[in-house]
Amino acid sequence: MLRDITIGQYYPSDSPIHRLDPRTKLVITFLFIIIIFFVRYYTGYLFILAFLALIVILSGIPVKYILKGLRPLLFIILLTFFINIFFTAGETTLFTLWFIRVTKEGLRQAFFMTLRLVFLVVGTSLLTLTTSPISLTDGIESLLRPLRVIKFPSHELAMMMTIALRFIPTLLEETDKIMKAQMARGADFESGNLIQRAKAMVPLLVPLFVSAFRRADDLAMAMEARCYRGGESRTRMKVLTMGRLDVLAFASIAALIAAVLLNTYL
Amino acid sequence: MYLSRRNYTHFLVQAAAIAAIYVVLTLVFAPLSYGESMVEIRISEMLTILPFYIPAAIPGLFIGVIISNLFSPVGAIDVVVGSLATLLAAFLTRRMPNKWLAPVPPILINGLVIGGMLHYVYKFPLLMSILSITAGQVISCYILGGLLILTLERFKNHLFPESVK
Repeated sequence: MLRDITIGQYYPSDSPIHRLDPRTKLVITFLFIIIIFFVRYYTGYLFILAFLALIVILSGIPVKYILKGLRPLLFIILLTFFINIFFTAGETTLFTLWFIRVTKEGLRQAFFMTLRLVFLVVGTSLLTLTTSPISLTDGIESLLRPLRVIKFPSHELAMMMTIALRFIPTLLEETDKIMKAQMARGADFESGNLIQRAKAMVPLLVPLFVSAFRRADDLAMAMEARCYRGGESRTRMKVLTMGRLDVLAFASIAALIAAVLLNTYL
Repeated sequence: MYLSRRNYTHFLVQAAAIAAIYVVLTLVFAPLSYGESMVEIRISEMLTILPFYIPAAIPGLFIGVIISNLFSPVGAIDVVVGSLATLLAAFLTRRMPNKWLAPVPPILINGLVIGGMLHYVYKFPLLMSILSITAGQVISCYILGGLLILTLERFKNHLFPESVK
């Protein structure tokens, strides 16, 4: 039953976007998040839209697939829209419905914030759609490496992420097994109110903890047997390299930043 | 790090295991987890009481939140803000003097930080967003986390033999 859970959003392919260095994609996503807050006018969103469209076309991800990712967020998107309509103070009243006053400013603000939310979600999803979690981890480790100077444990962080990612499918299978075993003994995970459901989780959690910690012990011993001693002077099998594609990617985000800033401040 | 080499590897792997449990709980109980209603109840947030019992849960929860949010369609802003809030809360939970105070930091810090983020990013009314996030956290951390505390009290000598306070 839990086998059909898809882990992560990664859409495997061999497009130019997929082939970009994960560090490039991380930095570009970060810049993208910042620049979206500088957009003041609807024309600014045209540049954002063009940028996202370019990435989607290049990455070869079906638009339907991306829109499907937005569906669980439909509620939040609508909520953002209506909250902004109701709670924005404005002058020009368009119409009044009982106690709700819809103003021109409120409507504009609502559309604006909804677009911001959608663009933020799509833009950041594109990172996880085109980059596998493992290469994201490699990218994060490499980007955080300078912070080692202030004793930031970047290697440890990346190592823990890698191991956790490796553990997830195993533990999912384990959870499935435990759930079935407990259901065979009469456990009920699917009905009842919140408290009853939470109580039903106890016979699931304890075996899950025991099994996860046992696996962790085994893995720690195996790592030590192979003389694992942290990140110092460790070499990697796949070394990250930046190429011409990455330069092009940085040039396009620079163009987007320039376009948005000119649009806002001129 | 100040840990001996044996404990260093052990700590790393244990933290990874806790992170994986967090992600698995988020995935298995996904319908409740990714904020489909105004009051978000993330079942996996019940694990926020773990740092009280085991220090490896501090980085463990941090990474669990990073990975869960990377998998979620909500996107990268929550990866950074949400996970840093969790990290700070986990540090404070570790320092709580009493097990019934352990859920207080994740409730307060997530309520303020995530609620504040909703206000600054999407212009939600500040008080409303803080209150709704806090309400969700009270349910996940106190009610669900409380059940977890009661359970762990029974099994803590078996589960965390080295790190019982």
